[in-house]
Amino acid sequence: MRKNWIVGLALAAPLALAACGGSAPPGTPGAGGGGGGTAGSGQTIKIASLHPLSGSSAADGQQMDNGAKLAVEAINNAGGIASMGGAKLELLSADSKGAPETGQSEAQRLVQEGAVAIIGTYQSAVSQNVAAVAERNKVPFVIDVSSADAILSQGYQYTFRLQPSGTVLADQGAQYLSDVSKAAGKPAKKVAILHEQGPFGTAIKDTFTKKAQSLGMEVGPVASYDPAKVSDFTTQVTEVKASGADVLMVAGYYRDGVLVAKAVDTVKPTLNAVWGVANGAFDLPQFAAEAGKAGEGFFDANYHLNGKNPQTQALMKTYQDKYNDQIRTGAVLSYDAVRVIADSLNRAKSADPTTLRGAIAQTNLESLVAQKWPITFSSTGENQGAAPILMQVQGGKVVQTYPQDFAETMYRYPATTGQ
Amino acid sequence: MSLPERSGPPDAGPAPVGELGDSTAESPRSPVRTTRRRPSWALPAIAVGVVVVAVLLAYLRSGSTDVVSQAVVTGILVGGVYGLVAMGLTLIFGVLDIVNFAHGAFLTVALYITVVMVNRFGVYPMLALVVAVPVMFLLGAAIQRFVLAGAIGKPLENQLLITLGLALLIDNLLLLFFGPNPQSVKLPGDTAVPIFGAVTTVSRLLAFGVALVLAALLYVLLRRTRLGTAIRAVAANDSGAQLVGIDTRRIYMTTFAIGTACAGAAGVLVAPLVTIEPTTGELFNIIAFVVVVLGGMGNVVGALVGGVLIGLTEQLGALLLPGQSPLLAIFLVFVLVLLFRPQGLFGRTS
Amino acid sequence: MSAATQERSTEEAVLPRPAWGRHLIVLAVLTVLLIPLPLILPPATQAVAVRVLIFAIMAVGWNIMSGFGGMFSFGHAAYFGLGAYTSVWLLVNHGVSPWIGMVAGMVVAALFGVAVGFLALRYRLKGAYFALSTFAFAEMLRLLAINSDFVNRAVGYNVPLRREFSLAFMQFAPGAPEYFWMALGLTVVAIAVSILFLRSKLGRFTVAVRDDEEAAAAVGVPVMRTKILTIALSAAITSVAGAFYTQYYFFIDPEGAFGPSVSIQAILPAVIGGVGTIWGPAIGALVLGPLNDITATLLRNPPAALSFLQGRAGLDVIVYALLLILIVLLLPQGVYGAIRERVRRR
Repeated sequence: MRKNWIVGLALAAPLALAACGGSAPPGTPGAGGGGGGTAGSGQTIKIASLHPLSGSSAADGQQMDNGAKLAVEAINNAGGIASMGGAKLELLSADSKGAPETGQSEAQRLVQEGAVAIIGTYQSAVSQNVAAVAERNKVPFVIDVSSADAILSQGYQYTFRLQPSGTVLADQGAQYLSDVSKAAGKPAKKVAILHEQGPFGTAIKDTFTKKAQSLGMEVGPVASYDPAKVSDFTTQVTEVKASGADVLMVAGYYRDGVLVAKAVDTVKPTLNAVWGVANGAFDLPQFAAEAGKAGEGFFDANYHLNGKNPQTQALMKTYQDKYNDQIRTGAVLSYDAVRVIADSLNRAKSADPTTLRGAIAQTNLESLVAQKWPITFSSTGENQGAAPILMQVQGGKVVQTYPQDFAETMYRYPATTGQ
Repeated sequence: MSLPERSGPPDAGPAPVGELGDSTAESPRSPVRTTRRRPSWALPAIAVGVVVVAVLLAYLRSGSTDVVSQAVVTGILVGGVYGLVAMGLTLIFGVLDIVNFAHGAFLTVALYITVVMVNRFGVYPMLALVVAVPVMFLLGAAIQRFVLAGAIGKPLENQLLITLGLALLIDNLLLLFFGPNPQSVKLPGDTAVPIFGAVTTVSRLLAFGVALVLAALLYVLLRRTRLGTAIRAVAANDSGAQLVGIDTRRIYMTTFAIGTACAGAAGVLVAPLVTIEPTTGELFNIIAFVVVVLGGMGNVVGALVGGVLIGLTEQLGALLLPGQSPLLAIFLVFVLVLLFRPQGLFGRTS
Repeated sequence: MSAATQERSTEEAVLPRPAWGRHLIVLAVLTVLLIPLPLILPPATQAVAVRVLIFAIMAVGWNIMSGFGGMFSFGHAAYFGLGAYTSVWLLVNHGVSPWIGMVAGMVVAALFGVAVGFLALRYRLKGAYFALSTFAFAEMLRLLAINSDFVNRAVGYNVPLRREFSLAFMQFAPGAPEYFWMALGLTVVAIAVSILFLRSKLGRFTVAVRDDEEAAAAVGVPVMRTKILTIALSAAITSVAGAFYTQYYFFIDPEGAFGPSVSIQAILPAVIGGVGTIWGPAIGALVLGPLNDITATLLRNPPAALSFLQGRAGLDVIVYALLLILIVLLLPQGVYGAIRERVRRR
């Protein structure tokens, strides 16, 4: 019947279209460009930058991509990879859309287009997928931002992470609370927790609780919320007020952080501090502006760019000049990620991904982010120097307050809310 | 639970409050030859009863009147705005039979209109209503006339997909024009206001108050004006309405426009309360659907009451089920309503 | 009853005996033609092809209940997710082969479908209300998954990477043609099942019930049982897509399993290809699968005339949404439906 060939035609046409382009998921070893060859002088070495350039995290994703671009520019202007005849870097930017499937297929496509390393990706679920791609294709993947511990506990050899893991953040967050509150003469007795219900918030809550309890603090009440759907926190904050807690720990994202500040300002519980741990709002200048006096005095124990490092300061200025926007820590991490790769290329003297991976594992590099010591990787790929520092909103500005080495000013504890 | 079989013609019962049309037009259930004699206030009374029980349970759980009264107050105020969003949606469904997935996106457009007016031109946020409502009205009319009109009478899937496509389109156009950075709008003089032993803010009270006013206006429009009567006629029986000379196409367009304008108004009211991003409207989208089903599709007063009930469910749910997302409580209510009373609290069995 | 539905039903339901045979032959021919595909096409396309096939399976499953059965489901993610989670849970916690996991997933999904169908039909929901109830059930599964330790909460599961590749555990070398062949096999079986379903007594009952429930009941068709069995079959087929998806992408989480976008993914290809037809879902999947990629590729390297589009985020979704609206508006019967119309008119 005529139907048959029509069906056949309809089937063939899109396939032909698809052959013109398109991305591929988990592990198609590049038949053509795949594993990147050695780069002689004059050739560019491709690094893939995979971030959410659209979707709800686009603001951060775009900043991070910009950070990576600036790093590539800076390195190229300084002469490229010296040990490889001044070979220049080329950044391949891609949009993960915040979706694991897209992230994965884009990573695959980038590997096929010759990327010798990947940096990214911001969302833990996306990074998880990209790590699998990296492992199967044997291409190193340097995570700038993604907190989930699980990513690096599967024995993957090709994934590295720059930011401190969720465990480190929460653990240190509890430690700092204990240190700071004791030093101020008002040791934290009871800590209420408000956390976003996803894996990020839950992991922070779990580790924080364990550490806080081991330090002698009582933990409770603990409430969770759906960050995408929540619109008001007055009920939860009233619960905190009624419980007699003296500290409120908050683990969540930007939008909910602002809502928490508003609720605290409205309900006015008697708290010594609102203590963010890896909070997506409390250490952002934007938060200080948006929440106004409601956000005054809020703490955040989080990884943060080192405002006291002159190199970081220069980067901040460059970013402001070029993009007319204040750089955030994520972008500095992306900048660092490119630096790590460039430094490793230099030591490896080769752009072969497997050799490169070996060089990355040996990294010992100063960071533009506040860290305990330079970037070095453990056997599982975690950055051993990474640690959070304590920030506070003072006078509408976010300042670094603890530990001493990074403090720009003294912290204010108790931080009377709403002053 | 089986419905009692009775002989005799179905009983229409007294006209429920706020119902757009006679419910034989779009009944949620397949025809069943039974009636149920029950006064129309019985179900809302049951709902109130359930709420009272929930409040008591919450009190037992949390052990503090402060917390519970805060939850109740916040629930009602938040619910008022949900109700306003849902009113537009229910109107659209009642008249055009369209499940409008782009409703939240329209709300987001209004949010950005407010941002531009307040941050660029320094207008007092509530005054943005003056611009936003007419703009959204025109936008809704245009979209219905040029895009949705082609889907009238077609299967449900088609309309759903078109409105879904519209939602994606609008969200990403906003992303393109305004960028992904979150924006905010401040209400000058926004302070804490103590109320009934709990505490709230001026902006939230204003949002609730204006939502009530708008709901009243909409009710008056539907019940007391010729346009409203025509809308109700089309909702009840559109071929019949055509026979008496009503231009149904014009009514479809107007109704969709009014519905969109409602979403627009809700957006302006909500602007000082949320962080504004291209995806902010999606938050209200799903909740609006639940509210619409709860209140009865096509029932404007039902949408308002349903909104308040859902707001209460959300806040009390957070207290009763502390480990779970309050959304679960909302969906439980949703499923229960769908199963046992799909025409909503204020609808009728056929 | 509109002309379109009338024609649809006479075309598919009262299949004169040879017609289904013809469909099966076409299917067999296509299968043979497609087998060498992964050996011919460049590797990048393989991934698109597998994605097309996954969409096709989902849409074929959805079509059985919503197209042939007329019960519009907006929560097919429930079955997809149940297939995914069942198989991965068994694999991660008990080392069970994903093949067995897939069958287990089909059983779980079918049971859930029966439960949902029973509840919804018992209380006689129809139209938009039925659709919304299916959506609500899928959302509840998602929320339950996020909040329950039993399935790892919102973290989801990673399929453990194996050192050796094995058929028993559905793991092959990256980009191996085996993945395509597996997906092709599953899709072919799904389509064959849908053809045989239509030809069977259950299928004819289903279409009769869809077209006129009261008349069907009057001639003795067991309406409730027919509907529920149809839902169960629809659920089982879709769950296969979920199980395979997890093995192919090595990861699943509540959003990717039960999220609304998954439900939409099951509906779109069928609507675009033609609801209630045998070939509609597959054709729709063929149109949609590469669409996202093509727009993304185009926008990454636009022709000189459109260079201002370069690097703008979100633009590909805009194009995708526009195309979707246009196709639904201009070809309401779907691509296959429209082609069939054209052919018949000659």
